[in-house]
Amino acid sequence: MNTHVPQAEAASLTSAAISIRNVSKSFRRAESSPPVHALKNVSLDIAPNSFVSLVGPSGCGKTTLLRLLNGLIEPDEGEILVDGKPPMRGPHMGLVFQSIRLMPWRTIRANVYFPLELQNAPLKDCIERADHYLAMMGIAKFGDAYPHELSGGMQQRAALARALISQPAFLLMDEPFAALDAQTREFMQIEVMKIRQNLQGVVVFVTHSVDEAILLSDRIVMMSPRPGQIAETLSVDLPHPRWDYDVRANKDFVELRRHLWEGIKAMVVNDPESEFYQRDRVMRSTTPAGG
Amino acid sequence: MMAVKARPQARKSPEKGPKRSFRDDEQAGTVGAQELAHTNSMQGAGARPLRISIGAWRVVVGLLLIAIWTIVAYYFGDNFIPSPIETARAAVRITADGAIPSALGSTLIVFLAGYILSIIVAIPLGLFMGGFRIFGAALEPYMDALSAMPRVSFIPLIIIFLGLGYEAKICVVFLGAMMPILINTYTGVLNSDADLIEMARASGASEMQIFRMIMLPGALPYIIAGMRVGAGLALINTVVAELYTAVQGLGGLLSVYGNTFRMAPYFVVVILLAIIGLATMRTLKALERRMTRGYARGRV
Repeated sequence: MNTHVPQAEAASLTSAAISIRNVSKSFRRAESSPPVHALKNVSLDIAPNSFVSLVGPSGCGKTTLLRLLNGLIEPDEGEILVDGKPPMRGPHMGLVFQSIRLMPWRTIRANVYFPLELQNAPLKDCIERADHYLAMMGIAKFGDAYPHELSGGMQQRAALARALISQPAFLLMDEPFAALDAQTREFMQIEVMKIRQNLQGVVVFVTHSVDEAILLSDRIVMMSPRPGQIAETLSVDLPHPRWDYDVRANKDFVELRRHLWEGIKAMVVNDPESEFYQRDRVMRSTTPAGG
Repeated sequence: MMAVKARPQARKSPEKGPKRSFRDDEQAGTVGAQELAHTNSMQGAGARPLRISIGAWRVVVGLLLIAIWTIVAYYFGDNFIPSPIETARAAVRITADGAIPSALGSTLIVFLAGYILSIIVAIPLGLFMGGFRIFGAALEPYMDALSAMPRVSFIPLIIIFLGLGYEAKICVVFLGAMMPILINTYTGVLNSDADLIEMARASGASEMQIFRMIMLPGALPYIIAGMRVGAGLALINTVVAELYTAVQGLGGLLSVYGNTFRMAPYFVVVILLAIIGLATMRTLKALERRMTRGYARGRV
């Protein structure tokens, strides 16, 4: 299968698929209030065909970074290049949100082909391709159902199908499974790993869960809050496919998890604006009970 | 394998373009191995017996009302409250002599013309006010003022310009029915789901596409609710117009029979107006169910 790629496109200036250079972004809650530095002087390169997770405590600018990559907002300073060009909204970016954002008045099928409809694709193609991706996500028989008739996990699979239908080169996922129950969440993680096995492209995945980040990623970017900055980047070299064995028992997994958790915990308890500020003085154990 | 034939916005560097997209290859197939057993079992059993029993209860209430009516009529006498049988006789009489058919015809013309005109004007205006915030904000206080104002006060003015005939009556109905439809349409657009708008914008939707594909369908339940309120007001204003301009239609008959104390035909007209109201509301409810199937549980 082949897509029509314009031949005259300029080659990327860097070898990275996404290049973030000294980017800063701040917001004001109100006109008079002081600016909040969501991101300050952040630089990051994301390699082609890699799965990168952004982890860190609340307020570290993970979601802001994702919105910058998508072109929904623009940086105050610095430069972002996606495939050598400034970020642009459109079908080359697939998005999955925590709040699933299906249109309640459309059937699941019509929700899935929405991005194609935006490009004025013929209805026949829309339906054909929607059904293909619904089958890929294992929800083919729910094409005619309405979103509220499906469980949260199936709704999120429909949202994944919608994100994939325009064959994006980039998939941006903003805490996609945070609202799902623990068991559904684990199955959805396997779904994502399987999609990764069969499809190519860059995934940027925002999560609060250290376990989820290690399980899915090639690389983990740990961010620190106020101002949002990159604290550390780590690569994950656990063997694939990771759903085939008890990856959580792997000693590299355990080591990475401890390292990331210690880092995040230190940021949170030392952050005066955090609700857990200095709570480590009453905490006994150094590792959490669960992910 | 399927491919999007035209990808106007495909922007990839040639050497790595084809490898960069989330393509499905031969092994893609079904990855949903873990089918979460959850089917749509909410519908079906349970709904049907309930509907029958509601219908039965409604018949019971209807019979009860007729019984009370009969007792009250017996107590006061036919000169004040005609009995159901007396009313039925009057219905046959004034239907046969042509009074009811011609009055009903002219009332329906006024009601439907005024109501449809109000829909035609109010929905686009409301969408426009919601779509262009400055325009909407500028008109808002005037819209509120007009909606709170008794429209009856315009009738002398309308008579000066449009006379006493159909035009004047339709204008009164139009003014009465328009405001709730306008306000609801405007509110519906203003309350569109910001998350869905952001999703569409991120997917590359134009502002026009966002308006047409997100804001408009999102406003639909509000618009239909406004149409229902508007229908009730349209009927009220139809009768008001028939009483205050040239006396005709069902409103006219109300006035003629009422002023001459012919209570049995008077009751026929009152019941007929109730039936028109009921038919209109039922029609709009059916329309609402049809058009808002997926809205059942609101946003997802």
